[in-house]
Amino acid sequence: MSDARETILARLASARPPTAPAPAAMAPPPNVLDPIETLREHLTEAGGSFQIAARGDWPNQIEWPEALSTMEHVYSTLADPETRGVGRTAVFDHELARLDLCVIRGEFAVVENGAVWHVPESARERSAALLAQHLVVVVEESQLVPTLHQAYDRIDLAKTTFGWFLCGPSKTADIEQSLVLGAHGPCTMSLVLTRDGPALSGTAR
Amino acid sequence: MGHVDRARAFVADADRTQWHDQALWFVRTKRDRAADRVPDWEALRQQAAAIKRNALGRLPELWTEFESNAVAAGAVVHWARDAREHNEIIAGLLHERGIERLVKSKSMLTEECGLNPFLEAQAIEVIDTDLGERIVQLRHEPPSHIVMPAIHLRRGEIGELFAKEMGSPPGLEDPAELTAVARRNLRKHFLSAEAGLTGVNFAIAETGSFVVVTNEGNADLGTALPNLHIASVGLEKILPRQGDLAPFLRLLARSATGQAITTYTSHFRGPRPASEGHSPTQANPALHIVIVDNGRSQLLAQPDFREALACIRCGACLNTCPVYRRSGGHSYEATIPGPIGSVLEPSRDPTRHAELPHACTLCGSCTEICPVQIPLHHQLLAWRGRLAEGGQHSRRRRWALYLVGTLFMWPPAYRFLGWSARAIARVFPSRLLEAALAPWTRGRALPAIPKRSFRTLYRDRHRQAAREADNGGREG
Amino acid sequence: MRIALFVPCYVDQLKPEVGLAALDVLEALGFEVVYPEAQTCCGQPFITAGERDRGRALGEHFVNVFEDFDEIVALSGSCAASIRRQLPLLAPNDRTKRVAARTREFCEFLVDHGVASKSLGHFSDRVGLHPSCHALRDLGLGTPSESRAPARIDPARMLLSQVAGLELVDLTRRDECCGFGGLFAIEEEAVSCRMGLDRLADHRGAGARVIASTDISCLLHLEGLAKKNGFDFRTMHVAEILAASLASDAEHGFAATGDGLADGPR
Repeated sequence: MSDARETILARLASARPPTAPAPAAMAPPPNVLDPIETLREHLTEAGGSFQIAARGDWPNQIEWPEALSTMEHVYSTLADPETRGVGRTAVFDHELARLDLCVIRGEFAVVENGAVWHVPESARERSAALLAQHLVVVVEESQLVPTLHQAYDRIDLAKTTFGWFLCGPSKTADIEQSLVLGAHGPCTMSLVLTRDGPALSGTAR
Repeated sequence: MGHVDRARAFVADADRTQWHDQALWFVRTKRDRAADRVPDWEALRQQAAAIKRNALGRLPELWTEFESNAVAAGAVVHWARDAREHNEIIAGLLHERGIERLVKSKSMLTEECGLNPFLEAQAIEVIDTDLGERIVQLRHEPPSHIVMPAIHLRRGEIGELFAKEMGSPPGLEDPAELTAVARRNLRKHFLSAEAGLTGVNFAIAETGSFVVVTNEGNADLGTALPNLHIASVGLEKILPRQGDLAPFLRLLARSATGQAITTYTSHFRGPRPASEGHSPTQANPALHIVIVDNGRSQLLAQPDFREALACIRCGACLNTCPVYRRSGGHSYEATIPGPIGSVLEPSRDPTRHAELPHACTLCGSCTEICPVQIPLHHQLLAWRGRLAEGGQHSRRRRWALYLVGTLFMWPPAYRFLGWSARAIARVFPSRLLEAALAPWTRGRALPAIPKRSFRTLYRDRHRQAAREADNGGREG
Repeated sequence: MRIALFVPCYVDQLKPEVGLAALDVLEALGFEVVYPEAQTCCGQPFITAGERDRGRALGEHFVNVFEDFDEIVALSGSCAASIRRQLPLLAPNDRTKRVAARTREFCEFLVDHGVASKSLGHFSDRVGLHPSCHALRDLGLGTPSESRAPARIDPARMLLSQVAGLELVDLTRRDECCGFGGLFAIEEEAVSCRMGLDRLADHRGAGARVIASTDISCLLHLEGLAKKNGFDFRTMHVAEILAASLASDAEHGFAATGDGLADGPR
């Protein structure tokens, strides 16, 4: 189709409007006063949940969408909780449709909209994050950026085959503008912000 | 039947019109609340508009840069001059792999190209996976809004449709339950699909990446599992640098639905590695990008309308348009309805869409709300002039306006026209008058017809004042 | 300073009392205003219909009639917007640009001359102000609800706020179009009427008894709809309200002339 390519490029060149200079990068807006509260608001509005927990012990400290012990099929890129069930045994990614839970680590979160930047380690991780009933994303509290401007300063798309911002569970309002969580992807999404802190002892999960 | 007749039919159902109008106004208010929380909203609009203005001046360079980077990442890049070439490329990609079913996420470009009927005529089944798109697909009708395709439907109608097409219990109306039915039904397609097609919200020249945004995750489900990802992108969607995504993504979801950001904002660059994915099909993962002109370069050549190429398809102009809200997307009989559609479509087919720029009071709300500052109502006015001069307006209308306009230039003729119209109106039996002026009187009372014009009253007043001054002088 | 009054063709022919009210207000406030009798139509209906040639020709006539004046007061926001924004595009010459720049909408003119800093009499009623879309978004006379730019003054609102006893009501959609839109009112008559009826319902819900505007075109449409559909409103141009409010104070000894409100040329 190089004919088409040449034709299109020629058309574009001949239709070229007068040059307008590229604008300078705009200054990001002032930071919000309470980033944690702002994140919580955005997650809540997006239909997700927002929790803060101690880094070393967070699985014991958070509220899980269902009791962790009852979730048989788990795919996790963190050491705890462990991948189990179909998360371990699946040969093909579509088998992950039976996943109850997917746990992933986000690189950073964006305060102005509650989104987490995540680069899946593998195609499997991406499929798991889409097919699981419940998604939990863990992000370090020190890894917050104020707006998308700072986010794109951090990201290097030239080196990213696939990366996404995630905010809240899958949802739709296509039926009479009525919001429904869990359209095609996960029905729940939790953002867990981890920080220094003590472990709790012996909490049932 | 043009917009006038279809809109009249729509408005005749007052309850539905009110419901449709309020649903869309609600989305407009959500956008307002979202914009309230962004202190630099107007600066963002300016920045986005400036980025687009610059990009539109560099399209050949940006697309060759994009292509080179995308190819280096392992994507295959195709170019399509028009809708037919676009459709043929995609059909070819599917045929050569023996693929007979395609899952597709929302792409107004593919709607514009008529991809679905083209593929279906070649025995390829197309499953639209965006819930709203799936609904209108099953009803065999076009989307009525570019972001909320099924906004014109009530839950009962959707319940009936799902009972018929997805085997759900008749009488099911709850949106959450209906969505669950669709979730189960569409998951089967996602899990067995061998090819997924997405649109592209933004393409980035400097990296060869592109971004697709959804709330449902259907674009991701449709591309994570199958081995073939086809991405269709219009010539106007390119941005120079990854940093340009910040202002656009800050504007897009807020303008479209009032959300700070969509659930998924996915960045793609090249196909996923061959070693990953573990799909049942034997083929290696592949990414094919189809770059489409289909009239965009033509629009670029027109100073009056080229700014419309900045459009990011947010739909805010539809939500704010008082005419769109009360006539519905189907009244426009165009791929894209509403203000932006009425600017883009006449460029595609001036005869068919000559009426659209007149489906508008020029209120300017669209221009004020557009996140990329497209001067929409100015462009609609420019279209009216262009279409009139290009012979697309009715000759009778042109002659009548020409005649009245010419007479109005000569004060005595203007005064005579006014006086005689009023004189006739005052003398005519009111029923006959109302019939003669039906386009006004069908819905409105006529004003009381004055005996004298302002000019006459003004002269009388001055004659009176002069007379009084004279009398005063004489007496004094 | 020579000030001329431009009375739109439909006001001249259908609502001449509004022109008289405007004259009364201007004179009561100390302005000496001339009505050049050769004026006809500013050309707006032709421009919006796409008939640019006739629009330009009528624009030229407008320039011929008004070019000797220092200020032109237009009794319509949409005509003022058309003259200021469209005519210089259709006829980009110095004469046209000069006349266009000197043309202001009636309330805009008054506020620019400091009238809004005075109290403007009494008019006791609940008033819904209907903004003219063209005045609002093309001339910037007010802050459109879509915009997040710094607030701009709405001259009509400012003037009405200076009238004692006048209560401006809050609408749910403060600047939605009434649906007149020129030929749209008859060519897309069904949608036009639907839009107007929705405006009337909003005003009724807000408790307005009078609907005021700077544009008689909007008011003719709303008035016609109100009469035919059982809405009990008076429609009044802002000039009519001010004429009534200033007259009420004249009865009570308010000296409406010689106040020095008319400034010299700006």
